[in-house]
Amino acid sequence: MTLGYRPGDGLLHRTHPFTTASLAGAVSVLVFVLPGVLAPWGLVAGLCVLAAVSGLLPVLGTAAAFSAPFWGFLILIHGVFRDDLGTAVVLAGRISAMLTVFLLLLASVHPGRLVDAMLERGAPFGLAYLFGATLQAVPQLQRRAAAILDAQRCRGLRVRGSLVRRARAVIPLAVPLVLGALAEVDERALALEIRGAGSGARRTPLDPPRDGAVGRLVRWFLLAAVTGAVLWRLLS
Amino acid sequence: MSVHLEQVAFRYPGSGFDALRDLSLEFAPGLVHLVTGRLGSGCSTLLLVIAGLAPHVTGGSRSGSVVTLGLDPGGSGRRDLAGRIGLLLPTPWTQLSGMAYTVAEEVAFGPANLGWNRDRIREAVDGALRLVELERFADRDPRTLSGGELQRVMFAAIVAMDPAVCLLDEPAMELDLETTEMIYQHLPALARERTVIVATTDLDRAVRVADRVVLLDGGSVIGEGNPADVLGTARAVEAGATTSAARIAYLAGIAPTFPLTVSAAVERFSR
Amino acid sequence: MTALRFEDVWFGYGAVPVLEGIGFAVEPGEAVALLGRNGAGKTTLTKLVMALLHPHRGYVWVGDRITQGRTPEQIAARAAYVFQHADQQLFARTVLREVAFAPRQLGLPPHEIEALATDALRRVGLDRVGHEHPYDLPPAQRKLVTLAAALAQQPRVLVLDEPSQGMDAPSIQRVADVIRSLASEGVAVLAVTHDLSLVTEALDRTIVLDGGRIAYDGLSATLVTDATRARQLGLGVPPGVQLSLRLDLPGRPLRLADVAAALRAPEKGGRSAG
Repeated sequence: MTLGYRPGDGLLHRTHPFTTASLAGAVSVLVFVLPGVLAPWGLVAGLCVLAAVSGLLPVLGTAAAFSAPFWGFLILIHGVFRDDLGTAVVLAGRISAMLTVFLLLLASVHPGRLVDAMLERGAPFGLAYLFGATLQAVPQLQRRAAAILDAQRCRGLRVRGSLVRRARAVIPLAVPLVLGALAEVDERALALEIRGAGSGARRTPLDPPRDGAVGRLVRWFLLAAVTGAVLWRLLS
Repeated sequence: MSVHLEQVAFRYPGSGFDALRDLSLEFAPGLVHLVTGRLGSGCSTLLLVIAGLAPHVTGGSRSGSVVTLGLDPGGSGRRDLAGRIGLLLPTPWTQLSGMAYTVAEEVAFGPANLGWNRDRIREAVDGALRLVELERFADRDPRTLSGGELQRVMFAAIVAMDPAVCLLDEPAMELDLETTEMIYQHLPALARERTVIVATTDLDRAVRVADRVVLLDGGSVIGEGNPADVLGTARAVEAGATTSAARIAYLAGIAPTFPLTVSAAVERFSR
Repeated sequence: MTALRFEDVWFGYGAVPVLEGIGFAVEPGEAVALLGRNGAGKTTLTKLVMALLHPHRGYVWVGDRITQGRTPEQIAARAAYVFQHADQQLFARTVLREVAFAPRQLGLPPHEIEALATDALRRVGLDRVGHEHPYDLPPAQRKLVTLAAALAQQPRVLVLDEPSQGMDAPSIQRVADVIRSLASEGVAVLAVTHDLSLVTEALDRTIVLDGGRIAYDGLSATLVTDATRARQLGLGVPPGVQLSLRLDLPGRPLRLADVAAALRAPEKGGRSAG
């Protein structure tokens, strides 16, 4: 189950990073603003179609895996204890929609293209790189965490069992993760400087993100949809 | 002289001692310079200072003067020197740009940052990948490469920027024998139009391509000159920085200058 | 009982085969080098020892325990693994606590833990840095800390991944000494390495992997003195050995110190007198 960018050439991959980011933002607002218990699930359905068309079906599996614990928890709290299944369904739908759209964002936006898109709009290199690096951060931490888990298990660390045992396992797993990540940041800063990052020259985009009229139209549409929904909600 | 250091001292932030002390050195283009010494003697720090990364990126305090390609690398000369000083660090994966999903993109990262046009970038990337014999890896995802393959890619990434000063810190650490020989074999050609400075403790191979050696101990220069004169001494053996052949000769009790290579040792002991 | 045994082991990642029909056994007290080009499957093989991976076919035995159906933490009672990159595991506030981690996890009594940890640090020459923070030590010393941590586990099988990488000559000698002393105590050592000098100094047997199969399994001395065979497998002959062969030294010494001793002797044999 890898989070992060999956190389490909589907619909979402060819979409301009700003458009995909706008979609993520729009969905995050709409799930709260649209009325009806099933509205968030309607968005989820739409995202599933988008994922299928873009060749990113595995991402749905990841989203479902991450959402499942929440579904169970919500059904338990709201469905069983408070006898209010409706709330459980809405909340589960919101979580699933936001998780899905952000995972699709991670999977389809090449960090390099995001950086180039931001630089094209005049963003300073440091800021652009920060965004790109953040997209990278999750899969990187995931790989590192897996390596650390391997090392500590080989020293006898037990990770299954009682809550106390699991709590005790956090330190030997978290500390190398954090310290290692920090040390890596230091070294990466050296490497980036040497490789001309922030040199003041205008970076040549290697695979310029194509921004056509369609992309711009979609972004305007999303903005209009969100504004309209918010206004309608406020006024009614 | 492309690199000139005058009475340079450097201390890392929060450290209780100087990593480099009162160092005065020069490096000329057209040669392969070898910087060596036991671990902790300051070789890696020296490269960082020449590149201007210490103290500019690492923090810490530096005294004395450092002039690389006629400019102050960590200070006023930073912008003008962008891309003209290449530094290869020992751990390849921490040097990944994080923005590249193919090897070609990774190697192109530096040239792209320097604003080269796309044709020039493509030529540089192709040339660099050919140099390290990884042309068929151009479309591979860097995350799927082994440590050794990645180190070759990072070497290509540095070479692709065509730097005038090439600093290599343990360039063969992750490599097996054949690839190590390949990398070292390229150094003399690389040095023809550039200044190449290699820091390594793997002297058996490096000594074959080195034109000049600088021996460090505790942050100070304790030897400097041609390989035989510097590494073939008891001082080098005691500093833990010399070739296997020299160490054997020293233990066998013969008088210095000790032979550095097996062939030289065979000749010496056959007498 | 053999310390480590691979029985017709096959393993691959998806459709890509990495190990094909691997079979060998290591007895207690044997020090074995695992060599091969980058990508030949060496690290995969070591992960199979610790049950980090399980074979698709065949079996891996660590002492009397088969790895099938077992977890790394269960194998940790018999075997220890020193990873290539020390920072993957360092987390404690002091070196001593770091080294004491495994014995504590394995449930040993406190006084024994302290003794094991102190002894392990002494063996790798780090007895003076017990109270330092591991990340304050230079990288090569951090590697030695992870070696000490593995020793404190009192393993019957010790797996090392590139133990001498990034080290200078004195540190490499220290690692060689530790491996030799462990072997003399009956520990089975398996070391993945590119360092032919380390092989000559401390690892008497060599297994070479080539394309996922075993291309050589025999005495290191035999392989290391056969330049043609070594080259074929992507290996070189260490300088000390080259010297010993070319000068035809009596007894064919291979270790650095032995070669030097032979050269010190007045009679060097094999060459014309005078």
